[in-house]
Parts: sequence; C-alpha cells; structure tokens
Amino acid sequence: MRLQGKVAVVTGGAQGIGRAIALGLGREGSKVVVADLQADRAKGVTDEIRRSGGESDAIEVNVANESAVKRLAQKTFDRFGRIDILVNDAGIYPRALVVEMTEEDWDRTINVNLGGNFLCCRAFVPAMRAQRSGRIISIASSIAHYGAQEGAHYAASKAAIVGFIKALAREVGADGITANVICPGIANTALPRTHRSEEELIQRLRSNPLGHVLEPEDFVGPILFLASDAGSYITGQAINVNCGSYMV
Amino acid sequence: MTQVALITGGANGIGRAVAHRMAAGGITVIVGDYDHAGAEKVSGEVSSAGGRSEALSVDVTVGREVKALVTDVARRHGRIDILANIAGGSFYTKRLEEFTWAEWKEVIDVNLKGTFLMCREVAPIMQKQKSGRIVNTASNYALTGSPTRIPYSAAKAGIIGFGKSLAQELAPYGILVNTVAPGPTDTPRVMAKESAEARRLRWSDIPLGRTAKPDEIAEAFYFLTTPESAWITGQTFHVNGGLVTP
Repeated sequence: MRLQGKVAVVTGGAQGIGRAIALGLGREGSKVVVADLQADRAKGVTDEIRRSGGESDAIEVNVANESAVKRLAQKTFDRFGRIDILVNDAGIYPRALVVEMTEEDWDRTINVNLGGNFLCCRAFVPAMRAQRSGRIISIASSIAHYGAQEGAHYAASKAAIVGFIKALAREVGADGITANVICPGIANTALPRTHRSEEELIQRLRSNPLGHVLEPEDFVGPILFLASDAGSYITGQAINVNCGSYMV
Repeated sequence: MTQVALITGGANGIGRAVAHRMAAGGITVIVGDYDHAGAEKVSGEVSSAGGRSEALSVDVTVGREVKALVTDVARRHGRIDILANIAGGSFYTKRLEEFTWAEWKEVIDVNLKGTFLMCREVAPIMQKQKSGRIVNTASNYALTGSPTRIPYSAAKAGIIGFGKSLAQELAPYGILVNTVAPGPTDTPRVMAKESAEARRLRWSDIPLGRTAKPDEIAEAFYFLTTPESAWITGQTFHVNGGLVTP
C-alpha cells in the first residue's frame, strides 16, 4: 500500500470521480475524509471504505461557503490530526449560452468550482506547511483546454483552476508541497447526463482516439501516482487523462 | 506473461534509473546503448538486484543498427511491450553561429531521428500485439528554449510533436505514446560539467527548491507503462519541480 498512514480529504467525494478517488485512496491505506454537500451519499462512501478495513469519515460541506470549509478543516484535524492529500473534486456543471447566462449562473459556477479550490487550499495549506509536506490535486477538465458550448462559465472555472494551481505550486513548493491538476476527458458520470440523451452521450464518450468510454475509476491511477512518493518531483502540472482526445 | 522493455540510452543517468525501476516492477529490461560497457554494467546491476536484464549495443542514429537491434530482441523475446527512448543529450553549449552543420545534425539525429527510427521499427511489433507503450524523452528546454542549446531545444520540441502524431497513428492498435520532459536532473553527465554550488545557483528558481534525482524521473516513465495510465496518450509529463508549468 502506497499511502499507509496518510490522511486525505476528497471534496465532492460522494459520487462519480470523487467517490472513485476516495475509494482508491482508501485501498492504498490512506484515511479518507469524504467531504460533500450530499451528506448521506458521503456517508455511503465512508461505509464502503470502512467495510474494506479502512478509516474514513464523512463531513458535510459546501465548498463555496467559507465557514463550512473552515469547519471541514477543523473536523479533519480533530479526527485525524493532519492532512497529507487534498483532492479538490467538488464541482458543478450547469449549462447556458453566454448571451442567456444569468449573473447567478456565473457566480455559482465560479464560486463552487474555482472558489472551492481557493477556500479548501487556504484552509489546509497551513497544516501542510507546518508538516513540510503535502499533496494538492485538483480535478479540472479537458474542457479547461478546449472549451464547451453552453459551458463558458464551467470552462472558465476549470481553466482558472489550472492557473490557480500553477501559481499555488510556485507559492508552496519551498515547503515541500506539490500542487497539480488532473484534467479528465468527458467521463461516464452523472454530470454530463443532465443535458444529453443516453445514446448521444455514449457515442460522444467513445469518440476519442482510444475508443474507450472513460469511467470514474480510470482517473484513480493518475491520482495515486501524484499522491504517492512516485510523484515527488511533479508540481504545477496538468495531467491529461482523456484517451488522446486532446494532446497538450 | 513477463513484459519486455527496450530502453535506449540505458547505460547512464535517467536511462539507467528507468532500467532499474522497470526491472523492480517485474519487467525484463533490454538496456540498449552506444556505450556497450556501460550497458553491460547496468544490466549486471539489474541482475544483481534480482531483475531480468540484458545489454545490447546500438547507435540509434543508424537505421540498420536500430533494425538489427529490434529484430534481434523481438526474435528472442517474442514481444516488445515497452519502448523507452532515452538516448539523447545536448552535447554542446554554444551560440547558434558556432554550430557546424555536422554538430547540428549530431544533436538532432541522436535525439529526434533516433526516436523516429526506434519507433518505426518497434511500432509494427506492437501493432501485431495490439498493445504497447512508447515513452519518449523531451526536456524543459523543449518548452523554454535555451540560448546555448538551440539544436537540443529544437530536437526535444520535435519529439513532443512527433509523439502526439504517433499517438494518433497508433491509438487504434491500443498502443500509447507519451513523452516525459525531465527538468534539471542530477545525472553523472551534467554533474561533471559544473560544481554543485554553480548548479544550485543556476536552478535556485525551481519551486521545489532542488534538482531531480534520476529515480524521480524514472517513476514517470514507469507510471506510463502501468495499467494505471491506460487512458493517457499523446501527453507530455513535465517532471521538473515546477520550473516549467505549460
């Protein structure tokens, strides 16, 4: 096990990619805080980790709420005493054309996707600094690079995460902390189902050079690579896991 | 079934570390190098550590040598699962107008043409297998350029472009092609060129505050051969301590 004794927090850990990451970190021996707005589902993931012999807690959090994120950090430290791995996965993907986009749509998307990264990093970095070690991994999207129709706010938030993490990597590197981004290609999760027919979705999911439908589990390996000793010299990077659909 | 990896430039530095890392992962490593004695030495080290290895000579810039090497490995091992093109180097640090045509070609050929020739010979074997991993080597200089390493920067940037194209060509066969772009790495070759102090000063702006150990670069090569990276192709892994964040 590559992460024995480590403590990880996964925001958005209740479902989809976040859930797969939480389970993957647990399998490698890490204690996992499953942080999500959906408390019941988060508890379900925690139960799965515990059933396989791991340690885990579920904490309800709205990552765009400053005091809620502070409570998340405090509860993590109270329960596990430290933080080694922060995975920022919590995000939303509403759809709207720019000309029809309300200010509320815009604010909500930016505040949750980008603001959540800021608030969570700000809450956990001091403890990582004190330990002189830590791994921050944010989940962006291949849409950060190629954009998406009816998703300008989402694309902006995800591209901004890449910029934010690159800057943070420079800020925290001297303290032994790495910060990287995973950019998943479009994956078979609940997220894209909100605006496409099933047939359209599967066809789109498969239309990449490798002809593979990406599942949440497919992003776990790269996360473990970055979180483990193997990723010690990688920081400020965006790792693209997209079956070759976009080559950066 | 034991996987077989062919590693060029395996006698020293990053190539040597990659040979050790892959062997530790249970992969049979063929250490190919221009420096045969060096390749033998690394192969011996790998065997002593309990790994499976052999050394073979190759000048990656010579088409018939590359063909002979690949044919030999494929015949005796029956397969080639992994190709790590690590042979390369900047060789000269000087201004553009001081480069002779022969020197320019030397740098371009060892880095870029060698990668092409190796891929051209190995790809058909991987196509028949319907599987394979190719990992090429770029450099931070591919992204940033360098006023005294112009052909090297060009060759390394060329490797990134070449790899993306090859990734598209080979994706239908389930073959993945990626590039590792190491930052400043403590290899014997570069350490011999400058003092530790000069080196530390030159790289003081690396966010992680230090240069890389060859083993840290080797981890990225190894990761790109494992099932955990099964859906990554056409990408460049910048392992540089945050020096370059494209």
